[in-house]
Amino acid sequence: MEAYFVAIAIIVAIYTLLALGLNLQYGLTGLINFGHVGFMCVGAYTAALLAEQGWPAPLSFLAAAILAALAAYPLGLVSLKLRDDYFAIVSLGFSEVVRIVVTSERWLTNGVQGIPGIPKLMGFTGSGLVQASAVLLLLIAVNIVVILVMRRIVHSPFGRIIEAIRDNEDAVKALGKEPVGFKVRVLMLGAALAGIAGAFYAHYIGYVAPDQFIPLITFQIWMAIIMGGVGRVSGALVGTVILMAFLEGSRFLRDVVPFISEVEMASVRLGVVGLALILFTLYRPQGLMGDFTRR
Amino acid sequence: MILAIESLSKAFGGLRVVDDVSLTVPDGGLVGVIGPNGAGKSTLFSLVTGFVAADSGDVTLDGRSVATLPASGRARAGMVRTFQVPREFAHLTVRENLMAAAPEQSGERLFDLFFHPAAVRAQEEGVRRQATDIIEFLRLTAVADTPAGRLSGGQKKLLELGRALMTGARLILLDEPFAGVNPLLIEEISQRIRELNGRGIGFLIIEHDLGALTRLVATLHAMDRGCLIATGTPDAVLSNPRVREAYLGGAA
Amino acid sequence: MASFVELVLTGITSGLVVGLAALALTLVFGIARFANAATGDMMTVGAYAAVVSMAASGSFTLGVVAGAGAGIVVALLAHLLVFRRLAARAPVTSLLASIGVAFVIRAAIGVAFGHQQKVFGLPVVRPWRIFDVRVQPIDLAVVIAAAATLLVVFLILYATPIGRRMRAVADDRSLARVSGISPDRVMVTMWALAGGVCAVAGVMLGAKTVVSPDMGWDMLLPAFAATILGGIGHPVGAVVAGILLGVVQEIATPFVGFTYKIALAFFVLLLVLLVRPAGLFGHSEGAR
Repeated sequence: MEAYFVAIAIIVAIYTLLALGLNLQYGLTGLINFGHVGFMCVGAYTAALLAEQGWPAPLSFLAAAILAALAAYPLGLVSLKLRDDYFAIVSLGFSEVVRIVVTSERWLTNGVQGIPGIPKLMGFTGSGLVQASAVLLLLIAVNIVVILVMRRIVHSPFGRIIEAIRDNEDAVKALGKEPVGFKVRVLMLGAALAGIAGAFYAHYIGYVAPDQFIPLITFQIWMAIIMGGVGRVSGALVGTVILMAFLEGSRFLRDVVPFISEVEMASVRLGVVGLALILFTLYRPQGLMGDFTRR
Repeated sequence: MILAIESLSKAFGGLRVVDDVSLTVPDGGLVGVIGPNGAGKSTLFSLVTGFVAADSGDVTLDGRSVATLPASGRARAGMVRTFQVPREFAHLTVRENLMAAAPEQSGERLFDLFFHPAAVRAQEEGVRRQATDIIEFLRLTAVADTPAGRLSGGQKKLLELGRALMTGARLILLDEPFAGVNPLLIEEISQRIRELNGRGIGFLIIEHDLGALTRLVATLHAMDRGCLIATGTPDAVLSNPRVREAYLGGAA
Repeated sequence: MASFVELVLTGITSGLVVGLAALALTLVFGIARFANAATGDMMTVGAYAAVVSMAASGSFTLGVVAGAGAGIVVALLAHLLVFRRLAARAPVTSLLASIGVAFVIRAAIGVAFGHQQKVFGLPVVRPWRIFDVRVQPIDLAVVIAAAATLLVVFLILYATPIGRRMRAVADDRSLARVSGISPDRVMVTMWALAGGVCAVAGVMLGAKTVVSPDMGWDMLLPAFAATILGGIGHPVGAVVAGILLGVVQEIATPFVGFTYKIALAFFVLLLVLLVRPAGLFGHSEGAR
């Protein structure tokens, strides 16, 4: 039972990292990033491949963050100057293309089979529950650092400008500041966070494969930040906990309701996420558009 | 001369919305542009400030052409506009709205934010003081820490003026500063503009409503259907038969 | 040379699929003002409806008609239950809701029909030879179905009062409202057209390849690329751009490999945004 809770808590912590990144992008800056999972994928494969080469984890995690951020750079430069819904489309396309690339480039990624045998983190602490708890503690520490950094950003001149961009981009230009530079930096920061989350995910699950990085993941994160309250740093954690309760609940459902296969369950889960997105946009728009209370 | 607009033109589809308009604002000048709805005033503003690309013509600020600069570059050059429908940063407080407008803040660079926090903090104090001064000058102290989205129409106009002041602009372009503002506040806003003008800040002001503006400015231009149809003192322009016809014709 | 011509012909037929999807997308984008991410899954609906009704009746034509009908019903339901109620909100709301609609459709199909691929039981026919070029009869059927759909859509858009109103709304919404055009009727007609067009595109895609729950979602990116290349809200542009994209994809496939077909659409999309964000036929105001 403890092992189960630690496992769930680890996944919550990884999702919280993703949600914090998306909250910075959409909640604070207004960037409609529909390709978050793409940056996570870049991070996960980077960590997996470098671990295979024997890199120490701190270095491979750094590389995962940097590569994910670098992938965001050209993407932002091309599409963040345009209407904000263009970026939604481009980012969604980006995440699909990342998946196509890791599926196709077998020499590097082993294609659909993926990369197995990624070593556990914190292996020096032993194995089993002790090792898992150590990973959880590390993840909690990382989340705390990220939340502190977010708070620093929110209460800074930089934070003021990105929120101003979210509220009215033209007015920012009229005051002599160019929004594109800020938006690209925010996109890269959020991507770096997704990259780190991906690296944790790869080490925790132990293997990476293209099927783990489908757009459904992106929209689960969207669900989380909407449920937690868009624009609120604490909302990322709250929303992720609710999301995970729901995802795990649906797993129990399968044990209770007979005759549901794993494949059907995947469909059911997709449908429930879809339905939730529809219901949130219809009945809880304030979750989506803020009340961006930040204090 | 701070601003010179030379033969500015813009057509949408086949319609010439701004047609060969030239006008100037002298250093520290207070100049108005009037015209009926659809005369092309707001488009003229957007052309001058770089929000819409002109088909032809030139804009010079302090004798230097700014025609190739983007909107943000023109603002940095010292020419800041407001909007007809106020564009406040709705979720930021009045104070934060003003502070966001301060130029060259080191705290806008992530590197400085985390590696030179002392310098950022020192500058932030200066910006905060400047914002407080402007808030007092504009009589917005009571709402200083209210989210800007909750202000009245007139207060939002003052807020936009305050943001423009924070940038240190030498020329401020006001797009209908009196529209939708209650009469008491109109007098208030006019008085602030006069005081700022007395300190040497130039103004170019668009108005649809004639009353308050004609009492404020020294020089008035009138536009109709994209063209400049009259220029002179407010009295001369208002008694110009073409201007009267444009306004009456527009109403008919 | 003959094989090159064959590639171009294949490109045109698969380009017509992309073009039809882009046509549906551009209708919604131009009139309801958001990028409908459920476009691909509405295609899937058409394909499944056609497979089922063809299995029952044995007629491919009947399958196309049934598919179009199902597409229209699903699109109208989506409009009435979701998008109409979000019309007054920011476009991001409808965009996010359309992702939800896409997921719900795909999930429903997955539960109802399973994840096994299905095929149209079309008789296998030897390809015809015209000069040295092989022509697949199925390609001809696809071209005919596409041409008929396009004819109907463009007749409605350009030769009926409701079509004229739709184009007016696409050009300038506020102007259209002032001139007394009822947005409700325009929206309902638009969604019916979009749903029908999507479904026919789905049937065509299914007839050329296989039918699976994921088939439509994978078409989303090429359709978006063609929509933007053609200029948002520009029906002719969408179709032309779709065909262009299809041809480019087919010609490039021998060089970049089959899996990168969709990735290619993405790079075309980036290139267009970089060079001409308003698209080939769009006005400059399409992109701010």
